[in-house]
Amino acid sequence: MSKNHQRIFEEARQKQLELVTRRLFFKESLLGMGGMALGSFLSGCNWLGSKDTSGLVFNSDNPLLPQSPHFPGKARSVIYLHMAGAPSQLELFDFKPDLMKLDGQDCPQSLLEGKKFAFIRGVPKMLGPQAHFQQRGQSGAWVSDHLPHFATVADEVSFLKAVQTDQFNHGPAQLLMHTGTPRLGRPSIGAWATYGLGSENSNLPGFVVLTSGGKFPDAGKSVWGSGFLPSVYQGVQCRSEGDPVLFIKDPAGMDRDLRKASIDAINEANRISYEEFKDPEILSRISQYEMAYRMQISVPDVMNINDEPAYIHEMYGTEPGKASFANNVLLARKLVEKGVRFVQLFDWGWDSHGTDESLAIDYGFINKCRSVDRPITALLLDLKQRGLLDETLVVWGGEFGRTPMQENRDGKKMPFKGRDHHTEAFTIWMAGGGIKKGTSFGETDEIGYAAVSGKTNAFDIQATILNQLGFDHEKLTYQFQGRPFRLTDVHGRVINEIVA
Amino acid sequence: MRLPRLNTLTWIILFLVIVATGFSFVISSNTIDYNTEVKPIFNKNCITCHGGVKRQSGFSLLFRSEALAINKSGKAAIIPGDPSNSELIRRLTLKDPEERMPYKHPPLSDDEINTLTKWIKQGATWGDHWAYVPVKETPVPKVDNWFFGTTGGGSWVKNDIDHFIYETMQENDLQPSERADKAILLRRLSLDITGLPASTKLATFYLADKRNNAYEKLIDTLLSSPHYGEKWASMWMDLARYADTKGYERDDWRSIWRYRDWLIKAFNENKPYNEFLKEQLAGDLLPNPSDAQYIATAFHRNTMTNDEGGTDNEEFRTAAVIDRVNTTWETIMGTTFACVQCHSHPFDPFRQEEYYQFMAFFNNTRDEDTYDDYPLLKEYHQEDSVKFLQLKHWLHTTAPTRENELIKFVKTGQPAINSLVADKLVNSALTDTKWLVLRNISEARIPHIDFEGHSQLLYKYKSWKPGGKWMIHLDKPDGPIVANVSVADSKGSWKLSTIPLPVMHGAHDLYFTYQNAQLTNAEETGMQFDWFFITDPFPGKGIAGYDSASKYFTDLLFSRKATITPVMVENPSALFRNTQIFERGNWLVKGKAVKPGVPRSLGALPKNAPANRMGLAMWVTDEKNPLTARTIVNRIWEQFFGQGIAETLEDLGTQGIQPTHKELLDHLAWKLMYTYEWDLKKLMKEILLSATYQQDARMTKNAIEKDPFNKYYARGPRVRLSAEQIRDQALMVSGLLCEKMYGPGVFPYQPEGIWMSPWNGATWKQSDSCDQYRRALYTYWKRSAPYPSMISFDGTSREVCTARRIRTNTPLQSLTTLNDSAFIEAAQFFAIKMQVTGAKTISEQISKGYELAFYKQITKEKLMVFEKLYNNAFTRFKTDKEKMKLMAGIHQQKQDPSTAALVVVAGALMNLDEFLTKN
Repeated sequence: MSKNHQRIFEEARQKQLELVTRRLFFKESLLGMGGMALGSFLSGCNWLGSKDTSGLVFNSDNPLLPQSPHFPGKARSVIYLHMAGAPSQLELFDFKPDLMKLDGQDCPQSLLEGKKFAFIRGVPKMLGPQAHFQQRGQSGAWVSDHLPHFATVADEVSFLKAVQTDQFNHGPAQLLMHTGTPRLGRPSIGAWATYGLGSENSNLPGFVVLTSGGKFPDAGKSVWGSGFLPSVYQGVQCRSEGDPVLFIKDPAGMDRDLRKASIDAINEANRISYEEFKDPEILSRISQYEMAYRMQISVPDVMNINDEPAYIHEMYGTEPGKASFANNVLLARKLVEKGVRFVQLFDWGWDSHGTDESLAIDYGFINKCRSVDRPITALLLDLKQRGLLDETLVVWGGEFGRTPMQENRDGKKMPFKGRDHHTEAFTIWMAGGGIKKGTSFGETDEIGYAAVSGKTNAFDIQATILNQLGFDHEKLTYQFQGRPFRLTDVHGRVINEIVA
Repeated sequence: MRLPRLNTLTWIILFLVIVATGFSFVISSNTIDYNTEVKPIFNKNCITCHGGVKRQSGFSLLFRSEALAINKSGKAAIIPGDPSNSELIRRLTLKDPEERMPYKHPPLSDDEINTLTKWIKQGATWGDHWAYVPVKETPVPKVDNWFFGTTGGGSWVKNDIDHFIYETMQENDLQPSERADKAILLRRLSLDITGLPASTKLATFYLADKRNNAYEKLIDTLLSSPHYGEKWASMWMDLARYADTKGYERDDWRSIWRYRDWLIKAFNENKPYNEFLKEQLAGDLLPNPSDAQYIATAFHRNTMTNDEGGTDNEEFRTAAVIDRVNTTWETIMGTTFACVQCHSHPFDPFRQEEYYQFMAFFNNTRDEDTYDDYPLLKEYHQEDSVKFLQLKHWLHTTAPTRENELIKFVKTGQPAINSLVADKLVNSALTDTKWLVLRNISEARIPHIDFEGHSQLLYKYKSWKPGGKWMIHLDKPDGPIVANVSVADSKGSWKLSTIPLPVMHGAHDLYFTYQNAQLTNAEETGMQFDWFFITDPFPGKGIAGYDSASKYFTDLLFSRKATITPVMVENPSALFRNTQIFERGNWLVKGKAVKPGVPRSLGALPKNAPANRMGLAMWVTDEKNPLTARTIVNRIWEQFFGQGIAETLEDLGTQGIQPTHKELLDHLAWKLMYTYEWDLKKLMKEILLSATYQQDARMTKNAIEKDPFNKYYARGPRVRLSAEQIRDQALMVSGLLCEKMYGPGVFPYQPEGIWMSPWNGATWKQSDSCDQYRRALYTYWKRSAPYPSMISFDGTSREVCTARRIRTNTPLQSLTTLNDSAFIEAAQFFAIKMQVTGAKTISEQISKGYELAFYKQITKEKLMVFEKLYNNAFTRFKTDKEKMKLMAGIHQQKQDPSTAALVVVAGALMNLDEFLTKN
């Protein structure tokens, strides 16, 4: 941006802010128009520079300004459902009748030589599929009886059955999936998307995270962190218990009117300071306080599922007031409907090693499947009936797969049936948002051990998600430490085989 | 001849045109400068394909030797002195798009091609990037106006800094601002030096101090405040990625707060910066290191430890070593070195193998991603500190030759061999990949142990049943038996034991076999090991005092009356690790072996420097190191002005943002080393005494137009406070602040449900009494779930080094200061403070509150705003007793509508932009 341009831009921004803050600012529509006017003015100036080369410029005063991506994206929003702990593909989608024949036999040496596993030691036994499978719908996709509801919508999704990773521990593998590196410090995919797109709804965060299963994902908050991007792009955790967003509730004893009066006073005093200092940062702060006030209404409103009709509760299996995956899925739909760009769900408890009942492939795992089956199905159907599925990309998966061998932790027989972490093949599916319906890409060998064709990895998934949002993953960059960084580093290929 | 009549303006324009033409002629005939004219063209257009990462056609422009070499086409791209035969120029000017460079990109402009042509003609000399050349003494520019002199800079400048600043101000047609008023300077200085607003006492004194040097005296007072160390430690903690947990999945507790306290003390003692760095990098390698010098090395033990089950410990040890390399560069030398892991630096003169040479300095410490974070320094308390002294004394008098070895072992537990190095496991295992366990009829190997003639094995183990038979075979599973042990049942708790060893030399593998008929099945664990220590029997047997001394030795190894801190301990030669290049950065694919070394482009190790971390520390702190002094000067400048002289604190290289005042940076860096001898307080004082710093921060229309980001410093700094300052200020102004220093992390109020790490039952238990109101730097820092208000105000998770926080302005920040209980409580106390000042009327109380926060009178206009808010609140609370009580807070006798309304006003004052900002 030339000096002159920069000056003009500064002037425009300041005028705009002055204008906006003088208005009756609690009239949301007015402000919305102000924001839009500013946005269109700036895009007319092409102040961001050419996006296809140097990436975006961070505007500290309005970092969430809606922005257009590299090309018109098919998806407007993303709902990413991450089953933390890594669900077994062999009990859900990757049907391997031949594995059944090997059940209980020693694992052949050829599968063990030169391989590393997290917990398997020595020679484990093979473990046949612990579920019944059927082909579903027109596409004939294999879906096990663990997901009876989902089986009815299998025609809506594209399965990726040969996803691979090189990380066999949860934390690093989750980081790789969401930040493009197994180490800490990089921005998450939701942060990248928000950085690239801004937020459509100035009263809600652009990137929302919801967790269930009683624990955070293994990699902690870094999987929705902003890494080296400005912190404004990190995921905002919304909660279905307690305050929906931290500190959203007015303190005890302060009602809405008094809160409004106090923000009025703060902003009035700030306006006097602005007259004195002429620092545009003060105008930004004034508008942030106004937005905070509006968020205090809009966030609890969108996070309240009590008013949803009974059939919706029935469909999702939601129970208002409780923290559950089902509630979070319904919230995801509501958030997307309100213009939130990226909704990330983490459900903990999928690490079916067989160390105890809750983590057994033949007990706890089935319960986990039950807890997600209805909500996920409802999500696809509900988005569809609202005409939102075409513009909402839904992604479902874990951080790696599970072994066709039964786990023998420390070389011992386990109390329950379980499978160890497996990097060589697992299943992820995508639906909506410009993804083909009723297809499957990638295949594994006859026992589901290794990917044999159509191999994909975390970078490909990321490239595809960004592609659906309208970004060339090689060009969505951020200048840091002297070089342009991108989510997919030097990797990634858009999986065109599943793009409609 | 009669000249045409022209008006004055035209004459001036004409004159300027002539001057400008003359200038451009002068410039064009001058030597082309590689750094400012050539390198930017290469970096922008060429180096992506012909640099450190890619070398299309074998051609690279990174180093001169590469650029002049004959490349794959058989031609030299650059022939010095001969542009017309240089392939580079030919390829830039071709018409055929397949041949013309840059390939598939727009051609270079004629100007650019001319520059390159001229440069080759002049000999194609390479220049070094400014930041990679040792700092030279930089003369101070004169500010006297020689042209159209109006108000001269002479009356404005206060010290050398101002000369540099005034010069660029003039170049940009800017005038300095007036000095800010006393109240503003008081608050600015206090926040900048101590991170806290000034106490009322200090404020009263300073505002009444009419001496000429009152401002300087104030600086001295603040620099000698113990809060100074707290403020600068909290800055350094971001760089050192200080946290109270280990990171990754379980993110369990770690005891490393002694390092934070070391930082505070080091700053307060004004430890010279070179020593400050040397102790952190290599304190353990100093002669007879003190506890404090060991603790300083915890700087690089702030790397993460992965406790997740099933992790490869060597992988995460390696990750920690790599993190140490990257952090050293980013923190101390303002350079991004991380990308050299996989390939030579794309833009800067660093080769890939140099990354691993540098890594070799850090690759020989004893830490191995163990669960307990070994090595741990133990600082003994109470009776154990007495035992320690008695043991030391006894060894000193009875067995002086063993004193160092045994004392080091008692203090650091080193050099021990961790059981997690075991391999060749047969019915044995590394349980949770952390400890070796043996079962009935099992085998395991501890590879490559050098006995160095020692005759005893001391080991830490657990067992659950009697009857265990443990044998050690030499070099083969059925090799000679060197030990045959009937394992005593430790009933599931850790125990120490010893076995005698035959005298052996050189490296051997130890094969363990184990049997225990009492174990009911093949999978039951019989025995678990933590570590092994190759030593000799405790000395002095038969001498009086032997029994108690040897008992003290064992007691101290298990002491619970000790503060532990992970520290660096170097491998003894027997455990030396070789360092190899990781091919394309993959730690599993090892290439050529390398020795410790520093990048050639940045000089060499000082002559007397050993090839270990101490040598590295000597190189880093050598005056010839081009980066160390520049980096810290830049960082301190950023703390005061909100931006560095070079904005990219993390990268002073060719891709970083170029400094706005390079000469000033060099001038101060030189002065820090040679005049101030690395004394940071002196450097700070010089900056704070400059007229530049003392300017008013008010902006004029002219200034906003010409310099929206204050890069030329024609006004004072105006920057939002840091997360830490925002909390600390609220506590200070409300009177809640607990000024207690040091100690383990504390737990102020935090909402429910923030901590939910898997496999970790730890809960946030709110501290009581004073500890709830400690300064932010004492707040327990959990990496996977940091304290929420810190994060909203751009604090970081401290998983890796953060060289620079990027400031944002978001509604979540507003919600935090409006609604977080910590801030509400502060408002409640602040309101009462306003009342007890003796001010009678509400107006006086509000005015008093404003004065407490800003040290100056509130304006009428603002007072009216808050009176209105007060009246509004008062009317409500008069009719709603319930709400009134909730708002007024915990003070029973103060539960009245007036107090409650004043709390609302106090809360508003604490949300003002001028409160959250340094003005």
